Amino acid sequence: MTSRYENAKNVFLDSVDIEDYIDLDSSVAAYDQLQHSLSKPLKMILIFGKPGTGKSILLNRIQEKLKHQKEIHYFDTPAPSEKEFFHKLFKVLTQKDLPSNTEVNFSALVDFCKKLRGKREIIILLDEAQMYGPEMMEKIRLLSDSRAVKFVVSLHKTEDEDLIAKEHFQSRIWEVIELKNATKEDQTAYIHKKLLKKNLYEIANSIKAKDMKLIHRFTKGNYRECNKLLFTMFEICEYYDKNEPAKVNYAHIPKKIIEMSALKLGYIHV
Amino acid sequence: MYDIKPLEGEWKKYRKKKLRPWLIASVVFTLAGVLAIVFLSSTKIDFSAFDTFFIPVDNTSWGEEKKVYHTTVKSNVLLNSALNKLETEKNVMDQTKSVANDSENTFVDIPILDGKHENSVGSRQKGRAKVHLDIMETSSITAYKDVENRFAKSHDIDDSLFLARSYYKKGNYKKSEYWALQTNKIDPDIEESILIFVKSKIKLGRKNEAISILRSYLKKSNSQEAVKLLHSIENNKI
Repeated sequence: MTSRYENAKNVFLDSVDIEDYIDLDSSVAAYDQLQHSLSKPLKMILIFGKPGTGKSILLNRIQEKLKHQKEIHYFDTPAPSEKEFFHKLFKVLTQKDLPSNTEVNFSALVDFCKKLRGKREIIILLDEAQMYGPEMMEKIRLLSDSRAVKFVVSLHKTEDEDLIAKEHFQSRIWEVIELKNATKEDQTAYIHKKLLKKNLYEIANSIKAKDMKLIHRFTKGNYRECNKLLFTMFEICEYYDKNEPAKVNYAHIPKKIIEMSALKLGYIHV
Repeated sequence: MYDIKPLEGEWKKYRKKKLRPWLIASVVFTLAGVLAIVFLSSTKIDFSAFDTFFIPVDNTSWGEEKKVYHTTVKSNVLLNSALNKLETEKNVMDQTKSVANDSENTFVDIPILDGKHENSVGSRQKGRAKVHLDIMETSSITAYKDVENRFAKSHDIDDSLFLARSYYKKGNYKKSEYWALQTNKIDPDIEESILIFVKSKIKLGRKNEAISILRSYLKKSNSQEAVKLLHSIENNKI
């Protein structure tokens, strides 16, 4: 027998699926700001925020929206080496595969980009850019100076490193978009919209405002943590529904289960 | 799926930890409340300060107040040699009648004042500062003792006259004679005590002495009550 909580649980699987994108006040504002920045003659744009604030989904969303209008490419995970990164970039820029047993000549690549100026406008979305080293970042800056390639760099680091990263890009970045954790209202809308998108109205309704407040307190409004908590919560509900139905209330998610989930994920401790 | 049972156990510990400060606080407040109640209930409240709001007419007020009489002193008369300085008033006869009509177990307290001052305990001790009569009913023997003790301290003629009157009604004529004499020693103008003194002597079998005293009194007072009493004595009606 399938539990009603199984579908709810799967809604909160932590994945970057563009179909799961939820329009919230904050995310719509960030999206509009990014789209507006891309229309400007900028060389580099920095998307900045803590893990789980929606940077990757924003990049995916913009790529999905603009892929038929602009030459836009999404680099989800950094290449393991500089060589592989430039192989990938070479293919995007030249639209050709690099011949085997050859390496990209960076100077030649820069010259190639300069020749593209005014002919093509290529947008490269670099996710998890904090994993690129300073040398790589310097080469990316040189490529962006050609004005033929525009880089949207998404990065997150610890508090101190964030500042360093900001300073590093300060002279080159023309626009910085900072993503923050969701407010309680945004997070409530996020959870409800995600469930309603899968027609799980009753379950959405079983999470009351008080529970939302508790969830926001545990996750601090972080979307990734929210997904993890809701996934765990519905997984426990699913267990009770199948094994000990008396312990689960269809009309209202028990506070006990939310706290158990928080304990499981280490948000709270004994 | 997680192992739910250990997670439930962990949650119970978490709840206990979370509730602990509240439990401690509630226990502390409860204990504080209990201690406060115990402390308050063990403390006796002294209401004696309220006594100053009430001015007692008599410290040994055993019964219900019945009547208040007013009197006016008009003239003094010298009595015979037995009383030496006894003085009397003309209008006292009426109140003597009223008192004589009271029931057997009624105590009559008659503080006699000159009618010019308001009633007060302090002024009564100085002499005839107020005019009122308190009638109290009692059967307690200790009540007489209390009044006698009080008279020893205060020399209040209200007390001595009360005792003379009460003992006469009770048939204790020796004592009524004694307290009538004590009253007239302090105030020789009180006719009631003179008459009680005379009647007590009659009851004690000293008729000649009683008639002699009464005649001496009548020479100076023209009291109708004294005349009637003399007439009764001479006709052996008393």
